[in-house]
Amino acid sequence: MRDWRSLALGSLSVATGLIVWYLIGALGLVSTELLAGPADVWAALVDILRNGYRDTTLAQNILATLGRCFAGFFAAAVLGVPLGLWMGRSRMADASLNFVIQFLRPLPPLSYLVLLILWFGAGDLSKIVLLFMGAFPTIATAAMAGVRQVSVQRVQAARSLGATSRQEFVYVVFPAALSMIFTGMRIALAGAFSSVVAAELMAASDGLGWMVFSASRFLRTDIILLGIILLGLFGMALSRALVAIDARLIHWRGRE
Amino acid sequence: MNEGNNMANILTTRRRLLKGAGLGAAVLAAPAIVRAAPAPVNFAFFVSTSPFMIAKGGGWVEEAAGAKVNWIEVGSGAEINTGMAAGSMDLGFGIGSSPTAAGISQAIGYEVVAMMDNIGPAEEMTVRKSANIKTPADFKGRNVAVPFGSTSHFRLLGFLKTNNLSQRDVNVLDLRGDAMMAAWTRGDIDAGYIWSPVKSKMLAAGGEVYKTYDTLEAAGYVIADLIIARTAYSTANPTAVAGILAAYGKALDAYTKSPDDASVIVGKQAGVSAEMAKADMAEYDFVPLKTQLASAWLGAPGVQGKFAGVLKGTADFLVEQKSIRAAPDVAAFAKAINTSYLAKAVG
Amino acid sequence: MRPWLATALTACALIALWLWLTLSGVVSDLFLPPPGELWDALVDLVQNGYKSRSLWEHVADSLIRVIVGFGAGAAVGTLLGLAMGYFRTIDALAAPFVEFLRPLPQLAYLVLLIIWLGIGETSKITLLFLAALPVSAVAARDGVRNVSEARIRVAQSLGASEWQIFVHVVFPSALAEIFTGARLAVGIVYGTLIASEIIAGTSGIGWMILDAGRFLRSDYVFVGILIIGFMGIALDRLLLAVETRLVHWAGR
Repeated sequence: MRDWRSLALGSLSVATGLIVWYLIGALGLVSTELLAGPADVWAALVDILRNGYRDTTLAQNILATLGRCFAGFFAAAVLGVPLGLWMGRSRMADASLNFVIQFLRPLPPLSYLVLLILWFGAGDLSKIVLLFMGAFPTIATAAMAGVRQVSVQRVQAARSLGATSRQEFVYVVFPAALSMIFTGMRIALAGAFSSVVAAELMAASDGLGWMVFSASRFLRTDIILLGIILLGLFGMALSRALVAIDARLIHWRGRE
Repeated sequence: MNEGNNMANILTTRRRLLKGAGLGAAVLAAPAIVRAAPAPVNFAFFVSTSPFMIAKGGGWVEEAAGAKVNWIEVGSGAEINTGMAAGSMDLGFGIGSSPTAAGISQAIGYEVVAMMDNIGPAEEMTVRKSANIKTPADFKGRNVAVPFGSTSHFRLLGFLKTNNLSQRDVNVLDLRGDAMMAAWTRGDIDAGYIWSPVKSKMLAAGGEVYKTYDTLEAAGYVIADLIIARTAYSTANPTAVAGILAAYGKALDAYTKSPDDASVIVGKQAGVSAEMAKADMAEYDFVPLKTQLASAWLGAPGVQGKFAGVLKGTADFLVEQKSIRAAPDVAAFAKAINTSYLAKAVG
Repeated sequence: MRPWLATALTACALIALWLWLTLSGVVSDLFLPPPGELWDALVDLVQNGYKSRSLWEHVADSLIRVIVGFGAGAAVGTLLGLAMGYFRTIDALAAPFVEFLRPLPQLAYLVLLIIWLGIGETSKITLLFLAALPVSAVAARDGVRNVSEARIRVAQSLGASEWQIFVHVVFPSALAEIFTGARLAVGIVYGTLIASEIIAGTSGIGWMILDAGRFLRSDYVFVGILIIGFMGIALDRLLLAVETRLVHWAGR
């Protein structure tokens, strides 16, 4: 809920940025061969919309990147949340599995991309597994932490009201943990979006990341910039969507 | 129990929203999951100025293969090796002799079925005019860029070795084409060993050729771009492989007969002007298919050609550089060259 | 069963699986090197280094990049975030850029950075700097915004100046969120490190893995990944220790 002043200042900021960008090229500070100007990028966008890029349409590339991102994230969530919840409740599960997860967590995905391609082939599967492996530890850890930090008072209150273990979980533990789980999912999705571009560095034939790298091989900075801008805009949209979902689903987060 | 009802309502709405979001994400994710299943013929290629683009653009490959072709664009021979090792590539067009030697040494499981070209002067050292580099010793203390793992890298390392320069004397930097061009424009590097279009761009921007290829070739540092096929695939589809090679031969003929027309098609496929395409292609020695069967190159079926020795020499050098652990003997390389499909294609 | 026993058992099971897969030949050593090969590779790297630089030099290079990039990015980002939290104008002006930069995949704008900043350390560290900045800024801004109004009013009623309020109320209160942001930023920077070492480089653990991967030297790749993993854990623990001591002190 921004007021008009903020909106105006924000637009001013962005406009200034665009003007600086235009001037850098126009004034010859950087040769236009190395840094395309706004007009060139716009022309590239129009061209790609009309003729596609190397037999791929822009829509195809966008859907490919987003699709991989969601596939990996979705798989990580479907497996990570239940596992994390279980690990939060069971000491044994925690002891058995946590050390593996905590080792995987700080590992940068790009470091094992080559291995994944070796194991899972040069197609989409290796990329999706990469995204899965990046997102899974974060989500599982968040779910685990979420369960652990549920207020003991609430649990006891539920028990004193006669709730069964299952009811206690479904109506007290899970909703309270949801906040942390969702935070974990937001971080994981942001990470997946970043990694999907890295994953498209090797043996990819579509996707926004592929478009940027493919264009960079022939020094098409206009297409590179177009790709960056599109990636940034989609990233922002994704981020905003998550914040909106967060606000609606977990609106009681402050109440404690 | 109003609170309870409220809570239940909130939870249900929440669950519905979650389900909806999950479904939406699944819908977006589905195509990616479905596409993770392999396609008919997995063809790795480089986007470059080469007559092969004519065959690709004309759909001749699909025709010859008799199946759908999954075009996998790669940026380096190393990517092809990785893809082949994973079994997710069936054919590789334009892989350099250096990565090929590595791949055969590591028994990745492919065979050389033909040559694309003999590189010769097409990959060469470009030095900055203002750096005044005239002799090998002038390279000391300079920044020289080259894409690591490529045939150019192999040549550059050979250049250093034959001139008794170490990698501490000369600052060798690992740069891909676009990064090299940027570094060149900024003045961060004094020389670059690479192929066109980057090479011609550097030459146009204050560079000059520093000839190394003739002495290096004489010293045995021959480099070529090859055509490889995953052995399991080629054994199962000999007619397809022969047909694809024949299609390539057709493209080569088209180029030899009329370079100008060919350059237009190639330029369009590679995203460069026809003039640039023509100039680039003129530097390569596109050995005709029939000539490749001679013993000077790949040799006919059952007859070992000289190229097996070239691959062995390359592999030995890579072992020296510690890029690969060990190199097998020449016989292994000879075995990895299978010209039966080439012979069929030539007829 | 004691927890540590469960951990040990799982670890043993994994190692057993690894041994069986590699030693029985089910999986070629290209895909998964057996323990013997990994050990040899580690010894080789420690003794002879990788491509004419010692292993420690590679590790040190990577660490320095991470520390400098993260340090600068987190510092500037936190300052920016504090300003954004305090002054609506600054927030309005900076927000579009921060919001755009934050989710932007780093590898995508890597090429541009080389073009502008060359192939030396500057472009790499700048990439890491830009990776850390938005996260730190948002964390600091949220930290300022979430300071309890009541506390500020109490300080004001006691006659504290703006500056004193900042130093004694706002900043300590925001510190927890700033540190959460810092830990997140370290994770992102660390991940970006590999991306940054793809540019012209002849050093760094990330570069070593990428280079070894080019020739499918899975043994070097695995050792490198293990090193990166442990380095990452160490960094995170270090930051956690600093956070516990500082925030605990500030919370008093």
